[in-house]
Amino acid sequence: MRNRLLARSIVVCAALAASCSTAPRFTERPAAVQVAAPSQRGQSPQGQMPLPNRDDSLKFAVIGDNGNGSHDQYDLAAQMAAWHQRFPFTLVVMVGDNLYGSERPQDFQNKFELPYKALLDEGVKFYASLGNHDSREQRYYKPFNMDGKLYYSFKAPKQDVRFFALESTYMDDEQLKWIEDELKKSNEKWKICFFHHPLYSSARTHGSELKLRAVLEPLFLKYDVSLVLNGHDHVYERIKPQNGIQYFVTGSGGQLREGDLRKGSPLTAKGDDTSQVFMMMEINGDDLWFAAVDKSGTVIDSGSMTRRKE
Amino acid sequence: MRARLAIPCALLLSLAGSAQIGAQQKSANKPPANAKALTISKFENRVKTYVEQRDKLEDTLKDRPKQTDPASADRHQRALEKLVQASRSSAKRGDIFTPDMQQLVRQLLRPIFAGKDGRQIRDEIHDNEYKGNAPLAVNARYPDEVPLSTVPPQVLQSLPKLPGELEYRFIGTNLILFDPHAHIIVDYMERAYR
Repeated sequence: MRNRLLARSIVVCAALAASCSTAPRFTERPAAVQVAAPSQRGQSPQGQMPLPNRDDSLKFAVIGDNGNGSHDQYDLAAQMAAWHQRFPFTLVVMVGDNLYGSERPQDFQNKFELPYKALLDEGVKFYASLGNHDSREQRYYKPFNMDGKLYYSFKAPKQDVRFFALESTYMDDEQLKWIEDELKKSNEKWKICFFHHPLYSSARTHGSELKLRAVLEPLFLKYDVSLVLNGHDHVYERIKPQNGIQYFVTGSGGQLREGDLRKGSPLTAKGDDTSQVFMMMEINGDDLWFAAVDKSGTVIDSGSMTRRKE
Repeated sequence: MRARLAIPCALLLSLAGSAQIGAQQKSANKPPANAKALTISKFENRVKTYVEQRDKLEDTLKDRPKQTDPASADRHQRALEKLVQASRSSAKRGDIFTPDMQQLVRQLLRPIFAGKDGRQIRDEIHDNEYKGNAPLAVNARYPDEVPLSTVPPQVLQSLPKLPGELEYRFIGTNLILFDPHAHIIVDYMERAYR
């Protein structure tokens, strides 16, 4: 089954590569973060993924708005497992709405443990942040690695990277002080924040959370955050770098709002509102490579960036 | 189980009573220099009393590990929910959001919602994808089917700070005092903003 899925994705990737060889390069080139042209979209010499896949890299995946227990969630999870065979990411960052609807013990099974069983069995660690559909009790759920906290940070097992998980439905002064203190004392090269509500989004349903942006973005700028991962809008969107920071909306890990992206939005570098999507990322030194993969296993977006520097 | 409940309940009643009497004596002896500050201070005392009671009740339960399985977390939460509900069985709307506090909350929120960013703030609060009419009741479990509203930082900054992980949440224009530990609505007020 896995081989069949992989074979299918390789074929699609190769076809996309051929069709996208003339993809336009980005014109936006902020000083701190540079996003490469997605020249590798679907491209895969000998059918391989568009990431360097180096042994010493930090490899991780990103999902959001995933826990609805639908066939779509399971299908995307199967793709994650299939890609994991070739790109062995060690952790998965969850940008919230980890479980929709009821949260009985069996829901944790059906909406999390079963779809991601292959990854969990391989020892992949999931790190959750909470969305508006998530009960606060999820912080005690061991496989989410939140250690009983609504917001927390952790150092990545490889490379010089620290992740900061925020609780964006309730950004009170205490949490703001916490994130400022954490960012200030972090001396890792890469500071990556992840939380549910997007500071930038071109989706019609929710869109950019401007009031949250007003309090968080100044901190991200001040303390050299390079990458911000969000969900909430059930689409995939790579935002054009904003003030040197790269933002992604990855809110279609199970949910999907087809046609929700505003066409021609000045924020969008690349978007997809036609399929469930997860992301794979790789960090090595000052460089990060990313690839967005849809439910059929096709790489729909990829590129690279360098971290922000003081 | 009943006997186990009786001790914390008695403790709570006496605590609540003494706190109230203390506050009344204090206010009777010293007229308010600033009515707004006094209203907030009394509100904070009521909230503090609630949190102390809740924490004492939680102490009677087996410690919950920081990382556990969903069944244990759920059991712990529902046990606490029942303890708190039993201990506040006579709680009614307005016990904590008293009429003067409700008036003050509306006063505090008015400039936020009437200001130039009011529409954005309203949109963010209404952004929780819930369009139904959830039945609200003091001391009841927060409705499982209702996602938690976003509470914009600017709104939080305008309201009195809450201790002990109590939270302000909105369902429509109702302002909820939410206890995520026990998952109950501690109190709520209607028409917090327009």
